[in-house]
Amino acid sequence: MPVEAFARYLQNTSVSVFLQSQAAWLWPLSETLHFIGLALLIGATGFFDLRLLGFMKSVPLTVARQFMPLALCGFGLNLTTGILFFVAQPYQYVMSWAWWGKVAFLLVAGLNAMFFEMTQGARVLAIGEGEDTPVTFKVVGAVSLIAWFAVLYFGRMLPFFAEIR
Amino acid sequence: MIASSILRLTNDVASGRFADCTRCDSIVAVAFLEWLEHLPVFVTIAESGSIWGYPTILVLHTAGLALVVGSAVVLDARLLGMGRLARLSAFERLFPIMWAGFAVNAVSGFILFAIAATAKAVQAIFWIKLSLIAMALVVTVPIVRIIKGGGEQNAVPARGRVLAIVSLVTWTGAIVAGRLMAYIK
Repeated sequence: MPVEAFARYLQNTSVSVFLQSQAAWLWPLSETLHFIGLALLIGATGFFDLRLLGFMKSVPLTVARQFMPLALCGFGLNLTTGILFFVAQPYQYVMSWAWWGKVAFLLVAGLNAMFFEMTQGARVLAIGEGEDTPVTFKVVGAVSLIAWFAVLYFGRMLPFFAEIR
Repeated sequence: MIASSILRLTNDVASGRFADCTRCDSIVAVAFLEWLEHLPVFVTIAESGSIWGYPTILVLHTAGLALVVGSAVVLDARLLGMGRLARLSAFERLFPIMWAGFAVNAVSGFILFAIAATAKAVQAIFWIKLSLIAMALVVTVPIVRIIKGGGEQNAVPARGRVLAIVSLVTWTGAIVAGRLMAYIK
């Protein structure tokens, strides 16, 4: 399969070999940053998602959205360290069902957020303190919460899930 | 189970295993940790090999981390000035989420400790992690008071900023120490 061939090729590039040689300190550092990023990302996103679902109505929706830069920081941290993990050990990841599960739910979370910002973003301003949210907002909030916890689930399960064939 | 632990301890003492112990009260501690680790429920979790055993406990511990530290991050950011257009008490609904996450992690953390009690109890980094969590909880008490006692107010009292920074540093430190437990034996 072409993905497998690409992973083999990537794993033999000098960048990948260099990262592998630095694993002793780079891995613990990156994993730690990945966990800190996870807390930032799920903390701020989850807060906004709950407000989208109609919880914590005393927080105006626009205020809940002001915490999203924290989520972007967490996402940046996790994307960077995540790419680092992948470049160092691509073969191990593409051969793991858990990794594909993680990528699939990352796509769901990303497309869901893009859909919300592009088509619903302007409506956020109309929702004030104490006001309930429209159904579309509730669906987006629920999808986001489920998708991010699924990303966490498959990420933590990486060492335990079955290999592909 | 207790009887067999006592028997094992008696044998250990008789065979001179603790002959050179410098702090002999630790014999009791070691016996307790061994007893804990050998409880059938923890042996099963450790050795089942099922995806619903050890891996699931790890997932729960990570999800709990997201709830506890995620909530703390939002609350601390509010104390540091983010989202100041909402009154302080509007954020009190985050505490039940934080405590739910904490309960999940206290239970899952105890299980993770119990299945390898003798190994984890001698890891300095484990005790550092527990101390950092204790410190984080201590600063959360006045943070709860500021948020819940904030009423209709938006302004944060001066000590709020300091508490928020200590909270962020200690929770982050607990994550660092927790992750390093896998590396520093």
